Amino acid sequence: MQPYQEEYLANLNEITLLTARKKADCQSFDAFMLELAQNGAKARRKTCRNNELLREMLFPMLDQLPQATEADLQDLQDFAGELMTWGKELDTGLFCQIHQALLNLARVSRNRNRMIRELYWLGIGRNSLYNKTTGLELPEAEKYTSQMRLCFAEAAAYLKYFDEIKDTDTRGYILRSRANMSLGSFKTASEKIRLVKQTLQILQDADYQQKEPDLPWNRFVYMTHQQMAASLSYSKERVMSPEDIADVMESVYIVYSKQFQEAAARGEQPPARYAFPYNAIEYYCGLITLDELLTRLEHLMDQADPTDFSTDGMYAMISLPAFYCQYLQEYPDLIPRRTGYIASLYDKILDYMDAFPQNEKSEHLFLYMRQLSVTFLETDDSLSYSTFLQTLLIRFAPETYIHSRIVAVAATAFCDMILEEDPSFFDDMEEVRYILDASEKRHLILQYAMESGTLHDVGKLNFMNLYTQSGRQWFKEEYEMAQLHTTVGNSHLSSRFSTHPYAAVAHGHHTWYDASRGYPESYKRLECPYRQMVDLIGLVDWLENVTNTAQLRTGIDKTFDDAIADAIALEGKRFSPLLTTRLKDRQVAERLRQAFEAGYQDACRHLYEDAL
Amino acid sequence: MANTDNHQIQHNEHFSLTDQPLDQKAAGDLAACQAQIRLLEQKNAALEQALQEAQEANQAKSRFLSSMSHDIRTPMNAIMGMVSIAISHIDEKARVQDCLGKIQTASSHLMSLVNDVLDMSRIDSGRISLREEMFSLADLVHDISVVVRPQATQRNHTLQIEIGTILQEHLIGDVLRLRQILVNIIGNAVKYTPDGGNIFVCLSQCAVPADFPMANADFLQGNAAPGPDTVLLEFQCSDNGIGMSEEFLKRIFEPFERVHNAATSKIEGTGLGMSIVKNLVDRMGGRIQVSSREGNGSRFDIAIPLAIAPQDTRNLHLPTGQTVLVAENQEPNAMQICAMLQSGGLQPLHMQSGLDIVTWLTEAQYEKHMPCALLLGQELTDMSVLELARHIRQLAGLDFPILLVSEADWAQIEFQASRAGVNAFVPCPLFQSRLLGTLADLTSQRRQDIDSSGEEDADYSGYHILLVEDNELNQEIALELLSVTGATVQIASDGAQAVELFASSPEDYFDLIFMDIQMPVMDGYEATRQIRAMSRQDARDVWIVAMTANAFVEDIRLSQEAGMNEHFSKPLDPGHLRDILHRQLRK
Repeated sequence: MQPYQEEYLANLNEITLLTARKKADCQSFDAFMLELAQNGAKARRKTCRNNELLREMLFPMLDQLPQATEADLQDLQDFAGELMTWGKELDTGLFCQIHQALLNLARVSRNRNRMIRELYWLGIGRNSLYNKTTGLELPEAEKYTSQMRLCFAEAAAYLKYFDEIKDTDTRGYILRSRANMSLGSFKTASEKIRLVKQTLQILQDADYQQKEPDLPWNRFVYMTHQQMAASLSYSKERVMSPEDIADVMESVYIVYSKQFQEAAARGEQPPARYAFPYNAIEYYCGLITLDELLTRLEHLMDQADPTDFSTDGMYAMISLPAFYCQYLQEYPDLIPRRTGYIASLYDKILDYMDAFPQNEKSEHLFLYMRQLSVTFLETDDSLSYSTFLQTLLIRFAPETYIHSRIVAVAATAFCDMILEEDPSFFDDMEEVRYILDASEKRHLILQYAMESGTLHDVGKLNFMNLYTQSGRQWFKEEYEMAQLHTTVGNSHLSSRFSTHPYAAVAHGHHTWYDASRGYPESYKRLECPYRQMVDLIGLVDWLENVTNTAQLRTGIDKTFDDAIADAIALEGKRFSPLLTTRLKDRQVAERLRQAFEAGYQDACRHLYEDAL
Repeated sequence: MANTDNHQIQHNEHFSLTDQPLDQKAAGDLAACQAQIRLLEQKNAALEQALQEAQEANQAKSRFLSSMSHDIRTPMNAIMGMVSIAISHIDEKARVQDCLGKIQTASSHLMSLVNDVLDMSRIDSGRISLREEMFSLADLVHDISVVVRPQATQRNHTLQIEIGTILQEHLIGDVLRLRQILVNIIGNAVKYTPDGGNIFVCLSQCAVPADFPMANADFLQGNAAPGPDTVLLEFQCSDNGIGMSEEFLKRIFEPFERVHNAATSKIEGTGLGMSIVKNLVDRMGGRIQVSSREGNGSRFDIAIPLAIAPQDTRNLHLPTGQTVLVAENQEPNAMQICAMLQSGGLQPLHMQSGLDIVTWLTEAQYEKHMPCALLLGQELTDMSVLELARHIRQLAGLDFPILLVSEADWAQIEFQASRAGVNAFVPCPLFQSRLLGTLADLTSQRRQDIDSSGEEDADYSGYHILLVEDNELNQEIALELLSVTGATVQIASDGAQAVELFASSPEDYFDLIFMDIQMPVMDGYEATRQIRAMSRQDARDVWIVAMTANAFVEDIRLSQEAGMNEHFSKPLDPGHLRDILHRQLRK
């Protein structure tokens, strides 16, 4: 690798550490705040340096890629390889950019083997992007699956020329691409199962195996069975045919028996990762009832070791409860007699998360927690979804939490200023419209502003790498993906009782007042019963974003006064004139500035208390 | 007027009767007298009938005035109300916009009311005349679809427009009135079908049957007999809406008649539409039939004879015998497309999944038997057609023709579709002439490009390109790529030179500027800003393409803010370069 590439990687690693949650270690609050600020400043400097490295070194090289030497190209590949290794994603966006450039070069130079290899790696990068949309049933998410699958399909098409292609690595890429075509979600389980079956037939074909004995065929076959077993995640027996179930069952038994044998050789029980599908397939085959499956799941969860922080441990402690809650969501009549168990389950998981050591596995922990958040089950006894989400923000996305809390505090202060002048300003909200007691009404509105401000960006949890680890400015595709946080936030918040009222704010805070620009298109301002509050949070959010470079990677950095002036200039276009007209009052602007500072203090206080 | 005239006649007759001298009468012939009396009685009966008709007409006019004043007042009230709301919220742009939108809707409704009344009046007075002009049935159907589809979508209806056998696409008739008839019928189906309904429309043609009654035709007067120069345009529209009672069906074509029940109380209209339709169809020598049952939907069948226009004798230059890959999951659409391609001498190959298509095309490219085009339909089994287009554009290169056949409004999807790599659009409902014409244009253009230079480059001689690039190697590559196109390329090694060259050139000299960003002396942003700031028209119009490998969001934003039109990533890709030249120079 070239020195600038190594420096870039080192910076990325450092940024990840600098922006991660800290333990307070008996520090005073002031010392904690100071360290937080210093770390933030240091991370920003590293980010600037990375931007420079890309602008001055990498981009000029991509500029002249056709003239690059073989050694340069090899360095580039090694560099990309470090950006995204198995289980660790340092910079998926840059990984995809580099492999896209290498693919273009291979296409132009008509280098078949390189083209196959680059299609495979680009497919891997896109698979990682797709994974960020997990749990979403959105057309936008489908885009990433299609892009990934098309890369793998094109590479796999060269299977027809297996005999012509003598290179073992290229043959391996073709087969792996073929197997990866079934990654991701499908409209029906049958589609996925059909693809996996075809792959198994190819991989078990003795003819292919004889032609290329150096390839790890058994591993390929085993991993493909694992993919087939993963079809269980559809967990909707209604759409799986008996034939599909039989295929999945066979793969589950193959995977399980291998694990069972290996565990027996070690004198251990097979990990829960394999025990669950084994039990689940019995349910899908009709051998046991769902109630029985849930009881077995409870048994597995009770046996999980809260001090095991390996991937198997995380699976047992977090993934199993996620599956458990998913079943209960599908069959809510089974919930009432399990509410106590569900509450204790979430308490246990939060304790586990607290005890989790700060290391490179933290990112894995986050992915497991995100899975849990997708299937989160809110009951009267358990913690609320709102509290759970705020815990995730504090723990895994402190910068986003600080931003959200500043927005919440400033929005609350702005609401208060408006209510002093016009108590009926927020009467578009049905919950407060008919309340006659002014103080009760004010209390409810301010509470709504605080809660919705804190939760307005929860959709970012799906794209955490873009916010917490992106040690550079965003690329266009990343900016487009980041925009999905509004739709995702709306989808998550609207589906739970405690957060339902705040979904509108998450949905609409990036749309323009005159609807001429902004996103997402699905938010219709004039149809929204919370539109005054959405306008307000949108304005405060924008002010925070353009004055705080730590949060976003768009390269915009204004002073507070400039931001206020720009907001006023966008009056009636981006922002509601009812709000911007108040910003023209110097006193209001000053009180708002103070609220931004108070919000920062408030957010840091929460992080500090959590870190103690 | 009628009332006054009748009164005058009655008065005169009465006077003449009493004015007869009695002595002359006694002396007269009794039979003649009796005859006179009978005559007078007949006249009186006729007068009474005329009086009754006049009174009924009067009542109809009163009903009409009452109905119209109500119908006119409703949108007028909305307009006036919205105007006052807008005035009181003049600072709230969104609120004012909302009011203006509603005013626009109410005004359109008001205009249609007035138009209906005028039409009816013209029909009543016999002043309506039909025009004879050549028109394309494909254009007519497209226009109708553009008007009615958004209305149907708004009500969540499934609107299926099917094209049956079409003998002749180019016809002669009054296309505006035809459009009025068809839009009215489909519009009624949309209005009188509860949300989420199904509306089926079918257009087809056949020879005019020998016994088809064409006596009323104004339009075909000189050509009333069915023959080889006429076709019968058949239109069918059925819905699963609220339907009509038997009693109402008898009066459906009378003016001011509308279905009245709770479900229709909010539906706007004068009740003149069907009467106008019937009159227009009659004038065109056509036939209209309705069948309906209350609660079970309605079906309208219209048949209109039309003269055939002289046919377009221009030959299509289709790559006959070559394969066209058809990507479509909807079986009926795919069958229709394939049949049309076959009749154009092409070999359609139909596939339904994006993955199968990519696999097939990869093999075809490797084995050098690429199809002459890819035709994307409405949907695929596994992905959106535009995602597939995006990948195929990379796989197959920029010269490979990709057509999109879609029901969507092109204006709505053009930006996304062209960015995904779609070259051309064919609207649904599909007409063979359109499909084959577009395909011929695209493929012959591609052949011309290939033939003209041996390389795959078009001729842009006469065009002037300014290339602003400091790196000599990049200059050389770009020059190499651009020189074969015939365009005159001038090079500036930094932004300052570019500004100087542009300023000293005659107006409209440069057709295109490729601008590097990072350069010594003056960077690309500043150079663009200075060019855009010049006080000459071409400084604002000239297309400037940022040429850089900098791919950050900020870079794209900065280049847009500086006034550049497009962002072109390095390394220079010949295909992409050709695409820009094709778009910007071939206008």
